[in-house]
Amino acid sequence: MAYVATRGGERAIEQSQRLFREAMGDISADRIQEIRDAMPYLIDRVMGEASLYDEDLAALALAQAGGELYEAILLLRAWRTTQPRLALAAPVTQESLFTHRRISAAFKDIPGGQVLGPTLDYAHRILATEVLSGDTYVPTPVDPAEKPAPAQQPSVAAWQAENGLLTLPQADAVQGNDIPDVTREPLLFPAKRAHTLQSLARAETGGVLALGYAAQRGYGQAHPTVNELRLAEAEVVVTHPRGTRFSAGRVKVSQAEVVNKKGEQLELGFAATMGWNEVKVIAAATLDLNSDGAPKGSATEEEFFLYHTEGVESSGFCIHFKLPHYVTFQSSLDAMRDAKAKKAAKATTPEPAE
Amino acid sequence: MPDPQCLEDFAHDEMLRILARARADKLKVFAEPLIADLGDIEVLDNRSGLVMLPMQDTAQGTHFHLGEVLVSEAHIKAMGFEGYGMRRGRDLEAAMAMALVDLTVAAGIAHSECGAFLRQEAAHQAAQDRDTLRRVEATRVDMETF
Repeated sequence: MAYVATRGGERAIEQSQRLFREAMGDISADRIQEIRDAMPYLIDRVMGEASLYDEDLAALALAQAGGELYEAILLLRAWRTTQPRLALAAPVTQESLFTHRRISAAFKDIPGGQVLGPTLDYAHRILATEVLSGDTYVPTPVDPAEKPAPAQQPSVAAWQAENGLLTLPQADAVQGNDIPDVTREPLLFPAKRAHTLQSLARAETGGVLALGYAAQRGYGQAHPTVNELRLAEAEVVVTHPRGTRFSAGRVKVSQAEVVNKKGEQLELGFAATMGWNEVKVIAAATLDLNSDGAPKGSATEEEFFLYHTEGVESSGFCIHFKLPHYVTFQSSLDAMRDAKAKKAAKATTPEPAE
Repeated sequence: MPDPQCLEDFAHDEMLRILARARADKLKVFAEPLIADLGDIEVLDNRSGLVMLPMQDTAQGTHFHLGEVLVSEAHIKAMGFEGYGMRRGRDLEAAMAMALVDLTVAAGIAHSECGAFLRQEAAHQAAQDRDTLRRVEATRVDMETF
């Protein structure tokens, strides 16, 4: 390994950054507000992958990066390291979620019913090109029901357990700072389940989808059915110095369970993330369902999917290839030229006489 | 020093939950005049930071970390009582306003004014939730099987 010190790029680097930022123009509080209000699902995706929940910061990162998602997430992950961790909230449970959407593809008549919530699942995908001709697209308002939906919806899995279809897990005794945390300790394999689920929660959506889709298409061992999909808000329950536990506010979360038959019972795969991102949690739950006993190097093997869906690491490794590799490439060229010269020399050297 | 007091109509956790979700502009306007009755206030903390949010996995019961939430925190002391505020976001003034209300109530000052403010914000939050859930209810599938 060798390095060559060079100079002369300072001005070019400075101007290249100006060129990038000039294209976006001024960044004002109004722009941040507009991004935040107009693109909540993009904000959610960025917050989930950055593993940092704050809509204003996510909108600012998007504005600064010009919508380049990997840059925006890197900005947020870097900013996160400047902040102290003040507290650990109480664990969020499924039953406590303030639920906006809860559906099941496995059972029609689930307790609490099928509540679609905000979705374009059944919409015609028609581009509103009239906006480009000067019209304003005004969405048709919702006709609210007379009575509100229950804020909390029951668990589909609990109902299945009551009917002998699956066995509910024991409550985890690991609490607070004892919960394994991939931001403070290395990811080792076989991974602790807490590490796996945390890594999937902060994983890059496209990567999770690609590998989850591979499993769904047939490169996995189990075919998933969505047992329950939830978009909801979770209370962030912290502790007052006097010991009172209270909610410091709500954050949006997504959660998916996928199910497959295993012997005489059902087996669940699970995933959740901050923000509303259905594709990611369904794909991630599919990977969770398929990971047990997956062949080494397959898309559904834990080490394979966790390493390859960490967006900051994978995008960073990918783009590092465009940085100067002059010495290593010269070394390859030298080796190539040497082999060529040896081959030529061998061709011109006469065979010794018998 | 006497024990910290609570409002008659609101348990401590309920009061803190309402204050944490209260409209920032209204909370600041309400809290500012409370400073005059509290004497010298010692600010122990007023900062932004992160709260790690764990979740319980429904497949195997494991607790794992979903990610971190940006919050602002204020921790103050006066007259031998503590006041504490923690809210989502980076509005340090709103966290301080929450801590001022908490401290005022603990010291037994302005209970009727604080109670009225909490009732107003609780009603606003309940109306917001009800409106959201009526709109959610409109998306319930009324399944008919043929």
